[in-house]
Amino acid sequence: MQRTIHSDFALRNCLGGLALLCVLSGWAGTAELHVPPTLEAGQSFSIPAEGSGQATFYLVGPDHIVKRTVNLGSDLQVQSSDVRTAGRYQVILCAPSSCTSATFEAKAAPPARLSFFLHPSRVPVSTPQSIDATAFVFDQYSNPVLAPATVDFRITPATGAGFSRPSSAQHGVAWVRMDATPHEGRVQVTAVLGNVEEARVIQQVAAEACGLRMKAVANGNMVNLETDPVRDCSGNALPDGTVVSFTKEDKAGKSTVDTPIRKGIARAQFRFDGPARIGVACGVVLGNEVALNGKL
Amino acid sequence: MRSMADLTLPFKKITLEFVKLGLVRAGFARTASFVVAACVLATAQSSPQVHLDAAGLAPRPIEELTGTTIARHYALAWQYMTGALESGRTDALGEEFVGSAKDRLIRRIGEQNQTGVHVRIVDHGHRLKAIFYSADGAAMQLLDQAQLEIQTFDGKKLIDTQNAPQEYMVLMTPGADRWYVRDLEEVSAKTF
Repeated sequence: MQRTIHSDFALRNCLGGLALLCVLSGWAGTAELHVPPTLEAGQSFSIPAEGSGQATFYLVGPDHIVKRTVNLGSDLQVQSSDVRTAGRYQVILCAPSSCTSATFEAKAAPPARLSFFLHPSRVPVSTPQSIDATAFVFDQYSNPVLAPATVDFRITPATGAGFSRPSSAQHGVAWVRMDATPHEGRVQVTAVLGNVEEARVIQQVAAEACGLRMKAVANGNMVNLETDPVRDCSGNALPDGTVVSFTKEDKAGKSTVDTPIRKGIARAQFRFDGPARIGVACGVVLGNEVALNGKL
Repeated sequence: MRSMADLTLPFKKITLEFVKLGLVRAGFARTASFVVAACVLATAQSSPQVHLDAAGLAPRPIEELTGTTIARHYALAWQYMTGALESGRTDALGEEFVGSAKDRLIRRIGEQNQTGVHVRIVDHGHRLKAIFYSADGAAMQLLDQAQLEIQTFDGKKLIDTQNAPQEYMVLMTPGADRWYVRDLEEVSAKTF
């Protein structure tokens, strides 16, 4: 019985002490902050703040810090401008005697911008797996959009039908690798995600020469050499300036003339003495040979 | 006052595991994995340990030198960022950040100075996983699992301590002599 009386007395003292502590601190019931675990960047929200009296509210984000005195018992308003940057935020509420905290993550808003890279800027026609298109997906606040999304890469060649290559963006990046199309000229690649579009242009140029041929016209002890129009295997003319090499071999030895293509044709002139052989080459491609035996 | 031996000791931690594992010649791109723990004598403060895993990286495999450079500069970036956030000095960020990462850090430090709030980061290391390396070599995306203790202060008063693993999505781009941190965003593990 005596033990019971003592216990009641101790319990009353303990509860009284707790009540006094709460009154002195002027703050009760803010042990937990209820914040949404995730929200969309740029969306305002409120945090219920239980208790009474004043406290200091902190919002610590990736590039923004809010600190203000608040009255407990009313909701704490977080403005949309406070959470525009995606990432982790800390919410801290401090009464004079103690602080409580919580964290939440702001995720990127819907896609609003594509950062698009097309590589290389020039590529020979019909080269397999030679074009790389990479698109980074961002929201209106320049946060990378990490949620899955499908980016459609639409290819529009200078001639021929266009086509598209969809790609799933992983962690905010979508990419495709594709073959160059068979015809030279401007190729536009447009990355499309919803109503967001970003276009880039690549220049396709002729590939290596194909079926290189020359003809020779003798004039005394001189020979004039002229190629047929120099084209690649898809029929694209090699650009002017591409070097063609003519090599003559006779009893005087070996001599080579390197000459650029002009208007699709390369020309050279040799003096020859007695039997001679002349060959033509462009890059790694060999053309026909002409034999001269003092006359054609 | 730390002795020179103390300062150079972290250099001994520099380990290139791919050499030990014999990965230099065979299959480096598939199994590239190495540790760089660099020490910067000029600041007499050691960089955090960074472990880079580049296994299965696409669409371009990583070169040995690139991997070493990325790990070293990412470690330096964290070292400088930690110092800048604690000191409230934007110039302490060094040259490791560019673009939005730099802009955001400068803004954050400015607002720290305005509010009197600052953070102290105790960095226990980073496990970097390279997840995308563009075909032209112009950008690399990485996921960082960092072990950090983040203490938040208002003036001299400690108001919060976070001591949990953190995940960061990182975008790095190459410059003339280094790889820069272009974007650094803390994300939840659920993102992956």
